[in-house]
Amino acid sequence: MEDVLVLGGAQTDFERNWSKEGKSAIALLKETIDDSLKNVGISYGDIAELNERNRIACFVGNFLAEYYVNQGHVGALLTEVNPAFSGVPSARFEAACASSAVALDAAITKIRVCDYDVAIVIGWEMMKTVDSKICGDFLGRAALYEREAMGIDFPFPKLFGRLTDELIIKYNLDESRLMENLASISNINYANAKKNSKAQTRKWFMSDKQANQRGTATNPFVGGKLAVSDCSQVTDGAAMVVLSSQRFASEFNVRKEFPVVKGWGHRVAPIVFADKMKESKEIQYILPWTRQTVLDAYNRSGLTVNDIDFFETHDCFTSSEYMAISAFGLTEPGKEYEAIEDGRIAFCGSKPVNPSGGLIGCGHPVGATGIRMFLDLYKQISGNAESYQVKKADNGMMLNIGGTATTNYTFIIGKQ
Amino acid sequence: MLNIKIITILGANGNMGCLVSGIFASFGNAKVYMISRDIEKSKQAVQKSTQSVKADSIISNLIPATYDDLKNCLAESDWVFESVTEDLQTKININQLISENVKKGTVISTGTSGLSVNKLSNSFSDEIKKKYVGTHFYNPPYNMILCEVIPTDYTDPELLASVKSYLKDVLYRDVVEVKDTPAFLGNRIGFQFINEALQYAERYRDNGGIDYIDSILGQFTGRSMAPLATTDFVGLDVHRAIVDNIYQNTLDYAHDSFVMPGFVRGLIEEGRLGRKTRCGLYQLNVHADGSKIINVYDIDSKEFRPKEKYNFPFANKMIASFREGDYQKAFFSLVDNQSIEANICLTFLLIYVIYSIFATKEVGEDIKAADRVMASGFNWAPPLSIIDAFGGVSTFKRIALERLDKDYLNRVNLDFIIDSVPASDFDFRRYFKAIQ
Repeated sequence: MEDVLVLGGAQTDFERNWSKEGKSAIALLKETIDDSLKNVGISYGDIAELNERNRIACFVGNFLAEYYVNQGHVGALLTEVNPAFSGVPSARFEAACASSAVALDAAITKIRVCDYDVAIVIGWEMMKTVDSKICGDFLGRAALYEREAMGIDFPFPKLFGRLTDELIIKYNLDESRLMENLASISNINYANAKKNSKAQTRKWFMSDKQANQRGTATNPFVGGKLAVSDCSQVTDGAAMVVLSSQRFASEFNVRKEFPVVKGWGHRVAPIVFADKMKESKEIQYILPWTRQTVLDAYNRSGLTVNDIDFFETHDCFTSSEYMAISAFGLTEPGKEYEAIEDGRIAFCGSKPVNPSGGLIGCGHPVGATGIRMFLDLYKQISGNAESYQVKKADNGMMLNIGGTATTNYTFIIGKQ
Repeated sequence: MLNIKIITILGANGNMGCLVSGIFASFGNAKVYMISRDIEKSKQAVQKSTQSVKADSIISNLIPATYDDLKNCLAESDWVFESVTEDLQTKININQLISENVKKGTVISTGTSGLSVNKLSNSFSDEIKKKYVGTHFYNPPYNMILCEVIPTDYTDPELLASVKSYLKDVLYRDVVEVKDTPAFLGNRIGFQFINEALQYAERYRDNGGIDYIDSILGQFTGRSMAPLATTDFVGLDVHRAIVDNIYQNTLDYAHDSFVMPGFVRGLIEEGRLGRKTRCGLYQLNVHADGSKIINVYDIDSKEFRPKEKYNFPFANKMIASFREGDYQKAFFSLVDNQSIEANICLTFLLIYVIYSIFATKEVGEDIKAADRVMASGFNWAPPLSIIDAFGGVSTFKRIALERLDKDYLNRVNLDFIIDSVPASDFDFRRYFKAIQ
C-alpha cells in the first residue's frame, strides 16, 4: 500500500457571495483550481501529461448542485475549467454535508492502491442562489425528507435543537450551564475566524454575552433552544487539495516533506434522528457511530487522542461540536463541559478545536466543508496557517458529518 | 494596549457618531456615552447603533445623554470621539467644551472626513494636543472597516501607536495612517473618480448623461455600486463639501477634476440631495401597489425620466467573461474595443489607478495604502490589483501610453508614478462583478 501525501491546495474566500457577483459555478471552480495548482506548483500542462499515462483523477464533492444551480453531472464540469481536464477521470461524490469527505476517501483509496499517482479533490457549493427559507428546505434532504423536513421551516436547526434536548436528558445536564457552554463554543469559533483571512464571519461581531442572549431580535431562536448564534450560516465556496503517492511526491519535490494521511474512519448511522436516539439509549455515547468513526481513525493510525494536537470539527450547530468533544475522546461522554470550561478547546488551549473558525466562523458551503477541514489540517501541519497557526501541529484530526451525524467521516493527517 | 473602558461620543445622533458608537460598544466592549442636543435623539441613536452591529447585547453599553451631562461624561472617559457637524467653527466650539472638562490623559479624536486636524487641534492646550488625533471611519463602519488615522504636528508618537493598535486589534479596523490633507486619502481618490464621472455625465448628456456614465462604470468595472449612484447614496451636499474642500485646498494635476458640475449645484439648491431626500441624481418612485420605478435626472431638460437599459457590446462581453471566471478575456474585451463607451471605461480605470498611486505617494504611509483605502473604505477594486488584472506594470503602462490623451499624459509623470509599484496583496477577481 502506498502512503498518501497532501501536496497543498486552496479555498475561496467564504465571505464572497457569488450570486451577488453574478458568477457561475464554472467561475468558482476555475478560481479554486487555479489557486490550488499555483499553491502546489502543478500546471494544467502537468495534468494533461499525467493523464496521458492515466496517472491522475478528479474527485468532486457536492451536495445539491441540481437544486442550487440547476446543474447535475458535476464531475464532468471540470472539463469547462480547462481543456487539460478532457479525458481525465472525474466523478461527483455525495453524502450531504459530508460529500467532500467521501470524495477524499475515494481519492485516498485510489492512490493507496496505486491506481493513480495524483488526485485533485475539490468540494463546492453555491447556496446563496436562493433565500434562507428555501435553502433550509433544500438542506432538509440531508434528513429523511418526508418524515423529518417536508413542510417544516428550517428543519436542521430544529433537529440539532433536539440533539440539545437529548444531551440534557441523557447526561442530566444543567440546562443553563449547557446553554452557556454552547455560547462559548459559538464565541470561540467567531473569535478564531477573526484570525482567518478566508473566513465568512471575520468582520462580524460576536461575544459571550451576545451568544448567551438568545431569543432577541438580533439572536432569535431558530430550532428549539438554539438561536442564530448557535448556527453556521449559508455560505458560497469551494476548497481543493491535491493528493499524491509518495513516489510522485519524491520526484515532484525531493526536498519537501509533505503531510501524510495517517488514518480514517467512515460509519453511517440510521438516517432518522429519532432512530439514532433509540439506538443509543443504553449506550454511553449519544451518537455512538460518530465515536466509532473517531476510534476507527485512531486504530488505523495507531494514534490516540493524546497524539492529536488540534481538531477541525463539524460545528454546523454548537450542539454538534459539543457532542464531538467526547467523541474525540477529549472528555468522558457527558462531561464535555470540562473541555470548554477549562479552556482546552480554545485557540490557545492544549487541544484547540477549529482554529480556522469552523463552520460557524469560517463558513459552511456544505459540499466543500470536508475538504476545507482537510485543507486546514494540511495548512496547520505544514506551518502554512498564517495568523491562525496553532503552536503544535504534528497531527490533526477532522470530523465531517452529513445529516444529523448520519454519515460520519474522520481523517488524521500528520507529519511523516 | 490602551485600556478603553468608557468613551464619550459627541454628535451621536448623526449617522457616523451613532454607528461608531456601535463599534466601540461591541468590539471594544466599552461603555459609550452617546451625546446629542436632544435626549430623544440620543435614545433613537442607541437603537440604531445596536441594529448596526446586529447585537442587542451591547445596549447596556450605550448610554443616551445630552450636553447637560457632558461634564460628568468627560470626567469619566478614557476616549472622547467628536463627530459633530462637518463645520470648522462648530467643531472648534465643541473642542472648547471638551477642553474645559476632559480629564488628564484622555484620548481625544475627531471623526472629521476632511477638515484640517491640525487646525482643529488649535482649540486645545499644548498638553491636550498631544492626545489629539484624527480617526476617520468609513460608512457604514460595520461593513467598511477602514479607519484613517491622522496625527497632527503635536500628536504624541506613543499615543498614536497605541491608538492605531487599539483600532486594529480591538475594533478590527483596517488602519491606515495618512497625512493631514484635505479629505485625507480614501475620499480624495474616490471622489476624484466620482466627480470626474459627474463631469463626464455632463459632457455626454446627449448620450444619456447620468445613467449612461453609470452604465459604463457599473459593477463590472470593479465596484459594488456605480459611481453616480454611490454619490447619490452618500448625499450630493456631502459630495459638494468634499470636492470643494479638495479643490480649494489642494493643487495637483487632477485639480480641474474636482470642479463640481453646475447641474449638481442646481440639484442641491433645490433640496434634491440624493437618496436621503428620495431625489437627487436618481429618483425613486414607489407606487401604491408597492412597485418601484427608478427615474434619472436628465441634465438637458432638467426633468426626470425613466432610467435607460443601455446595451454596450464591450460591457456585455466583459460581463459574460467574468461570469465564467475568464478575467483575462474580459480585460482583453475592454482594451480591444474602440467604442466611445469602452474608451471612457478604460480611461477611468487607468486614471483611477494612476491618481490613486499619485495621491498615496503624497498622503499615505506606503503605496499599498492605496489598495487598502479603496478596498476597505469603498469596496472598489484596489488600484494595484487592477495593474495585476491588466497583466502587470509594463502592460498597464503600455496601455496607458496608447490610450490616454496626450494632454493628460503631459500633466502626469507616469514613469515616476507607475514604475516602482509593487504587486498588490489583494485579489482583484472578487471586485469585478458579472453585473452591469
